Amino acid sequence: MDDITRAIQETAKNLLLNKEVDVVVGFARGSLPLRNTPCFVRQPDDVQKLIWGYGCENNLANYLRKRPEKIAVIAKGCDTRSIVELIKENQIDRNKLVIIGVPCQGMIDRKKITRLLAGRELLEGEVKDGQVILKGREFREIIPLNQLLYDTCLNCQHPNPVLSDILIGEPVPVKENACFTDVEEFEAKTPAEKWAYFQEELSRCIRCYACRQACPMCYCEECFADCSMPQWLSKSSLNTQDNIFFQAVRVLHLAGRCVDCGACDRACPMGINLRTLTRKMVKDVQELFGYTAGIRLDQKPPLAAPISTIN
Amino acid sequence: MLILNQDQLANWLNQLIDTYKVFAPVKDGDHYTFKEISSGNQVTLNYTNTKVPPKEVLFPRSEKLFCYRHENEGIQLEEKIDESKKVIFGLRPCDAKGFLLLDNVFNNDKYQDPYYLNRRKNTVLVGLGCNQPATTCFCTSLGGGPFASEGLDILLVDIGNRYVVEVVTEKGQELLSGLNLPAAEPEAQEAARRVKEGAALSTCINLDGLKAKLDVIFYDPIWDLIHEKCLGCAACTYSCPTCHCFDIVDEAEGKEGCRIRNWDACMFPLFTLHGSGHNPRPTGKERFRQRVMHKFKYFVDNFNAVACVGCGRCIINCPVNLDIREVLAEIQGLEVRSDKQ
Amino acid sequence: MKNPYLPLPMRLVKNFIETEDNLIHTFTLEFLREEDEKSFQYLPGQFAEVSVFGTGEAPFGIASSPTEPGHLKFSVAKVGVVTTTLHQLPEGTILGVRGPLGNNYPLEEFKGKNLVVIGGGFAFTTLRSLITYILHPEHRGDYGDLTVIYGARNPGLLLYKEELAEWEKRSDINLVCTIDRPVEGWNGRVGFVPAVTKEVAPSANNAYAVICGPPVMIKFTMPVLEELGFPPERIIMSLENRMKCGIGMCGRCNVGNKYVCKDGPVFTRAQLNQLPNEY
Repeated sequence: MDDITRAIQETAKNLLLNKEVDVVVGFARGSLPLRNTPCFVRQPDDVQKLIWGYGCENNLANYLRKRPEKIAVIAKGCDTRSIVELIKENQIDRNKLVIIGVPCQGMIDRKKITRLLAGRELLEGEVKDGQVILKGREFREIIPLNQLLYDTCLNCQHPNPVLSDILIGEPVPVKENACFTDVEEFEAKTPAEKWAYFQEELSRCIRCYACRQACPMCYCEECFADCSMPQWLSKSSLNTQDNIFFQAVRVLHLAGRCVDCGACDRACPMGINLRTLTRKMVKDVQELFGYTAGIRLDQKPPLAAPISTIN
Repeated sequence: MLILNQDQLANWLNQLIDTYKVFAPVKDGDHYTFKEISSGNQVTLNYTNTKVPPKEVLFPRSEKLFCYRHENEGIQLEEKIDESKKVIFGLRPCDAKGFLLLDNVFNNDKYQDPYYLNRRKNTVLVGLGCNQPATTCFCTSLGGGPFASEGLDILLVDIGNRYVVEVVTEKGQELLSGLNLPAAEPEAQEAARRVKEGAALSTCINLDGLKAKLDVIFYDPIWDLIHEKCLGCAACTYSCPTCHCFDIVDEAEGKEGCRIRNWDACMFPLFTLHGSGHNPRPTGKERFRQRVMHKFKYFVDNFNAVACVGCGRCIINCPVNLDIREVLAEIQGLEVRSDKQ
Repeated sequence: MKNPYLPLPMRLVKNFIETEDNLIHTFTLEFLREEDEKSFQYLPGQFAEVSVFGTGEAPFGIASSPTEPGHLKFSVAKVGVVTTTLHQLPEGTILGVRGPLGNNYPLEEFKGKNLVVIGGGFAFTTLRSLITYILHPEHRGDYGDLTVIYGARNPGLLLYKEELAEWEKRSDINLVCTIDRPVEGWNGRVGFVPAVTKEVAPSANNAYAVICGPPVMIKFTMPVLEELGFPPERIIMSLENRMKCGIGMCGRCNVGNKYVCKDGPVFTRAQLNQLPNEY
């Protein structure tokens, strides 16, 4: 990790010194344990702020759309996949973007830690030799890293950048087959059970739109949820059905575009499981169109491709 | 000061439920939240802070203001004022302070909001002091404290298997009538004192001179960069005990409908968009500046109080870890220059 | 406790197409109950929230004057959901009105002073209220000279054409209407409001200027007024930020620490100079 951090800093410094880019978007140390935070570096002397770790959970592709300046980005596998789709949607000018790819070993899920600590506050966290050391007042726990990674990361088939100009670090091993057991379990439910599940989950929704804002692909000039002419759905949260409708349509809008990075799910302050829907969509698109989002620049998105090219 | 045994708690709550709607922290998945309880056993008091503040008990995320029905030659309006008696049980002192700040807004120099104020009048606040504040808490920097009783009707201090009960107001006194709680003996009082002493906060923010600085940095370039990672969602404002912005909409079908108010947020572009297409706060920069200015300058200008209680929810809930403590520190680090557009 | 969110029921008695592009209609509303009319005491410059039940409500400056009892007038441009619905409503529809809201033009301060009223486009609504109020026989004697400069893109876009024609005939008001480009049949002035203001050159002596119009008009007229010698304390403006509650609570219309709905919409240039430029 430290090697990667050093390499990122050095690369960023060179890019800035040589004026190849105006700004580098990466991660800095966050203000919470095991948390890193997006960081914009413009001065070569500020590159020490950049770090790499298990808390680099945000999808930085979100910051790349329609940038006026030349920009470099530190990108994990999922970030690069979003970038690929955004390039295809003409949201990113490839000529003004330098992708510093970093193979990803997975990111730590703070919700899992919260669940594990059951009310005890995490004061310090450290990852060492595949283990996470969690420290708080009067406790110290050592947990295997795998148990604390995001489910997205555990399922991820593209941890290595699919597109990069500079690659930092060694590629990590890739899982063989897509694993959709979670979706299959959900599919096996009866319609009534599915409905009850969404009712329960989305009754917590406060319509803060953190999911939408955190998604690199949710960039509509005017979101259907905000439209007033016509008004597609109620702006109030009096009725859970409207919350479900919002999520369902949001996910439909992401068909063939969602790379299952999990940003929406991570952003939700209410801890709503949003990935049930997004992953179902990812699976459907794979099955119906043979398409996996964000893999190849020359592959047309399924919903934009002429019917004849769909296999 | 009185004393309440922990095993009496559920009974007391059950008694209260007969007369009041009781809202208390309950475990909800991985976190805690204030919900109306139907039994004293549902309450969990070993929480640090709830995900969303109890502000929604008095100012719900969506509420009907009135309903209407078209009738021949006229319209019938039905006001939806909530007159029910409520208890918010086990709220933290910072959240009680949030209500004190909201009072300024909903009872301003010209108008009273009957929805909030009626609920407020009919609600008793039973607070629970914080034996162990979180590292994201900074209430003491805002004039509050883990055992501040300001805004509460009753404050409970957890001394192990018992609570020392501090009666703060008459409203609180009334809530305890019929319970015949014994006075806290010196030993219990001493224990409460020790608990309070032990509840040290690890975080503080420096507000000295902040207002004077904000007075002159509206046009400062700091705003160009400080918001940069903000995604423009409302996780911070919706989880803030003092944020009060709202929208008003109609929902109707046929001849009937209701006027509804929903939480809204200064972080959304539509919040200020004019019908003409002009937007006085067109980008994330202006919107983020508004949030900071509103809390730490405009609210001070208008009500002589900072609109922040230091609960730390915005820090915990922010999807990109944009930490208000760091934002304020950065502003404090500015060389003050004259503010020019 | 009076509930400031409850609208008074009113009947739409006239839905009048005000401009030739059909984008602005003037709505005349009558109170259903006498007691409501008595309670609705307003002055020029104030606004009200008009409810279209089932669609929502929106704030509009009151275009009628308290000297015209029995009804309220609003001139409304078709821009959003509420206004579009409003434009299509048949006469006889029951609407709701909340108000009066906000402050009014400083009529007390104006007493004994000359007034220069400058308006552009459809931002002439509360200016109509002000002019009608001052021209009323009971009030006319309280004020000095009244100069009105009113501009629109073309003659068909001027509001209140009948009244303009009447004012034209009176000797106690100096009305100058102008359009942006020459049009056949137009005998009045041609030119933008700032240039015409410069030509007319109303004296700042013992005078107040009241100005309402699109931002670009305000921007270029302001230096003209300054040149003419109007101090910022005697330039009166009305702001139009987006509003919902109208009572200083919903948080969206603020300019600095002032809420346009509650502390405005009428401000002096001097007051606005102290506030950020978020309007």
